[in-house]
Amino acid sequence: MARKIFEEIEEIPERDDDALDVLKRRLVVVSVIVMIFTALIIARLWYLQIDHGDDYKDLAFNNRVRIRQVAAPRGHILDRNGKEIVTNRPSFNVVLVREDSQNLEDVLKRLAGVLHEDTSELWKRIRDASGTAPHIPIVLKEDISWDTLAYLENHNQDFSGIRIAVVPVRIYHYGDLASHLIGYLGIINKKELAEADPEKYTGEDLIGKMGLEKLRENDLRGQKGSSSSEVNARGFEQKLLKNEEPTPGKEIRLTLDVDLQQVAESMMDQEDRAGAVVATEVNTGRVLVAASAPKIHLDDFTGGISTENWNALLANPKHPLINKVVQGQYPPGSTYKIVTALAALATGTVTESTIFNCPGHFQFGNRVYMCWRHSGHGAVDIRRAITESCDVYFYQAGIKMGVDTLADFARKLGLGQKTGIEMEHEKSGLIPTREWKLKQYKQKWQDGETVSVAIGQGYDLATPLQINMMTATVANGGKVFLPQIVEAVHESDGRSTDQFHPKLIRELTGMGKYMAIVREGLVGVVNGDRGTARAARIDGIAVAGKTGSAQVVKLAQYKGMKEEDIPYKYRDHAWFTCYAPADDPEIAVTVLVEHGLHGGSEAAPIAKAILMKYFETRLQAMAKEKEDRKNAKPAAPVTPGTAARP
Amino acid sequence: MFRLDRRLFANFDWILLLLLLLICGMAFFSLYSATYPPKPQGMPLYLKQCYLLLIGFCGYIFLISFDYQELHSWNYPMYVLILLLLVVAFFLGKSAGGAQRWINLGFMKLQPSEPAKLMLVITLASYYSRNEVIDGYSLKDLGIPIILTAIPFVFIMMQPDLGTALMLGVIFVSMTVFVKIRLSTYAILGCCAGAVGAFGWLRLLKPYQKQRIETFFNPENDPMGHGYQILQSKIAVGSGEMFGKGYMKGTQGHLHFLPERHTDFAFSVWGEEWGFVGSVFFLSIYFFMLLWGLNVAMTSRDRFGMLLAYGIVMLIFWQAVINLMMILGFLPVVGIPLPLFSYGGSSLLTTLLGMGILMNIRMRRFQTSCAKE
Repeated sequence: MARKIFEEIEEIPERDDDALDVLKRRLVVVSVIVMIFTALIIARLWYLQIDHGDDYKDLAFNNRVRIRQVAAPRGHILDRNGKEIVTNRPSFNVVLVREDSQNLEDVLKRLAGVLHEDTSELWKRIRDASGTAPHIPIVLKEDISWDTLAYLENHNQDFSGIRIAVVPVRIYHYGDLASHLIGYLGIINKKELAEADPEKYTGEDLIGKMGLEKLRENDLRGQKGSSSSEVNARGFEQKLLKNEEPTPGKEIRLTLDVDLQQVAESMMDQEDRAGAVVATEVNTGRVLVAASAPKIHLDDFTGGISTENWNALLANPKHPLINKVVQGQYPPGSTYKIVTALAALATGTVTESTIFNCPGHFQFGNRVYMCWRHSGHGAVDIRRAITESCDVYFYQAGIKMGVDTLADFARKLGLGQKTGIEMEHEKSGLIPTREWKLKQYKQKWQDGETVSVAIGQGYDLATPLQINMMTATVANGGKVFLPQIVEAVHESDGRSTDQFHPKLIRELTGMGKYMAIVREGLVGVVNGDRGTARAARIDGIAVAGKTGSAQVVKLAQYKGMKEEDIPYKYRDHAWFTCYAPADDPEIAVTVLVEHGLHGGSEAAPIAKAILMKYFETRLQAMAKEKEDRKNAKPAAPVTPGTAARP
Repeated sequence: MFRLDRRLFANFDWILLLLLLLICGMAFFSLYSATYPPKPQGMPLYLKQCYLLLIGFCGYIFLISFDYQELHSWNYPMYVLILLLLVVAFFLGKSAGGAQRWINLGFMKLQPSEPAKLMLVITLASYYSRNEVIDGYSLKDLGIPIILTAIPFVFIMMQPDLGTALMLGVIFVSMTVFVKIRLSTYAILGCCAGAVGAFGWLRLLKPYQKQRIETFFNPENDPMGHGYQILQSKIAVGSGEMFGKGYMKGTQGHLHFLPERHTDFAFSVWGEEWGFVGSVFFLSIYFFMLLWGLNVAMTSRDRFGMLLAYGIVMLIFWQAVINLMMILGFLPVVGIPLPLFSYGGSSLLTTLLGMGILMNIRMRRFQTSCAKE
């Protein structure tokens, strides 16, 4: 049947229509055109999907996956007893997400009222961030109060596009305690970013800018976490793809003792003193106190210091930006007599019985060098020379030894070189030699200069930490330790990675008996009737130390002037360095008060306050014992005869 | 009317229907993915598409039931009706703030500009077949076709719907060039087109329309605007790579990076989920159907059937080419759908009706005109 129909169809004659044939030929051309376009489109598909498929796949991935970094909580900083010095707290920032925002103008007006800010200030922040993607939050206000937070959370429907971002910020439990040592954080700058590991840091990260925050950045920082979420075109997160918890930073436990540090700083803060206080453990090198005055205010630095504050710091005549513990270089003054005395004894220049006469002045060449006591000390041996700080004795000892011998001993005791403590920009001080002068000034050393150097003046320069380490070395019988401030570094899981070990740098041998003689002199300084640091005397604990006054300028016009009339910046620096207990030393304390004039009256009481605190429990125990004894024998009369024995 | 003799059944082109059904099937699957998850309120779009297909195929059957020669007599009444609809849509649009191009019929929103395209094809085919000029049309001969094109063109321009209006121009040019016009007429028409184009750019185009064209040439000037749409479309297609991300697994579409992902950019979803292989498969069937359509034209029994079939194929072809070139980053964003594949009731119905006419011509290729009597 079908065949038949077909045959019937075949029978129908072709219309011999020329015009139709023309159109048919055109249809062939059109078919070719259609095929060309098909080929073109398929070629384009090949280009997009096969040739550049990988590129577009990456683009699609970046489109849909938003990787958010989660900052690791920064490590805490504790003192030796586990007291928290620096930890973190959550800070609540008000942020604007532009892509979610509606009626921005009204919202900002309301927000400005809540935040007590000017609307223009909020607009300024938004303008500053223009050019970033609209889903990136713009911080409008940092660290709002709980009340403000509660209000915004309760009225969030009135604040479209406004969100609260929680950011950990540093909290300083003791205010600016040890501010130079701790340091502060700031937004990473371009230079730091260029040097940093790009895996770890991004443009808005905080980084340690000073002090331990900077030096221990790698420990404190921890490992960022990240969460990858799939987002839609509007930036809303659809589902979590991957989540890596951040690893908190390591906890750093310092050798510092917050209580002692507080005593030191409060003493320095009295009368707005400038200078430095250092206390170390004599037998380990642990630093207990490292205070530089005036302090800096860490809060001024968080979030970038204002130009105004910065200029004020630069202009301050007391140089608060300098960590005077290691960056302040001062003439050691009479504290240097410890070096001269040791050198003189060790080289045999003097013995413990050698006596020099002090008429109050010393003539060398055609110059006369004065003793601080113009009336003179008379005949002095080495112990008395130390105790009473007789200049003339050390002039003569120094001249006999020569500058290079002196310098040799000074260096052995740690002067003229960096101690290697974990602090920034440590200065090495200066201990002159003949060679040094020739190199530095292209001049021959004058023996007259040795006279000054022998009593810690002239070219001599030392940092408070160096003087402290020298004191500790004399106290412990010749061991030079590396001063350290980190007791331990704890991983977040509690394991300790970096435990404190005392590091002995060198040991001075064969000096034991000479040091003993010097120590006897130092005991006299505090405890002798004519000692220069009687202000540091503590009942029950024998303190040994040495005072010093470091001349800042030698200007004739101030000679004979009353001390209080000399302008502040030309007054002598006051030194006091000591250790205690004298018979079994544990702690060495060094105090430098800039332009404090007299070590005995200005610096010694500060050291005493620290020692009192350090020995507090022992002193209390002694007082209690005494009390008990008194109570046990209430009737025992004190005979005047025994008490008055000379 | 249903005087179908057996010859009609015997001449039914199953391949043409199969190709059409394949394309509609792929479109349906892709639509389901592109609109997943369905909006909570209202009828899901894939379900709507089912009803539209149903209506469309009813129209398809209706259109094969009578000899296409009847269209000669229906032509002008239909033309006027469509013009009326365009006017109604225009005034409704005016009252709705200028964004509306449709007439709400309750079950669907009718965009009269879509059937207007098919109407123009029928009108021009009818005119050119009735007024045959052997040695090419002169400008004078083209007066009426130009006017017939210009009236709906102006209405659609005023909506404003630049893409559809230009489509009318493309149909006019395709069909007029096909029936052969005189060389001198080419020159004059060319000059006129240039002048109109320049005038249109300066005076008629809305700023957003200009911006779309400018954006195409400088996409980086407008990363979140239309350049963004094209970029996202390229990312979607490109990231499909060889075998695609898998059905319902396209990220660009499902995460809303793709704009208009079930309408104008529907093919991007397909390209992303089925990759190069799937895209080539689709395009092969699609363009094979068009070539088959040209074959219908070639074998049609008379000039009207040939022009009509050719015009319908061109109507689908040019829309498809423009849409695909836009999706693949060759053209700026113009609101032209991929016929049969992009979601949109008016476009789908119009195209199915066109395919019905095509089948009609195919089925009656061996009947002489007198068979009508």
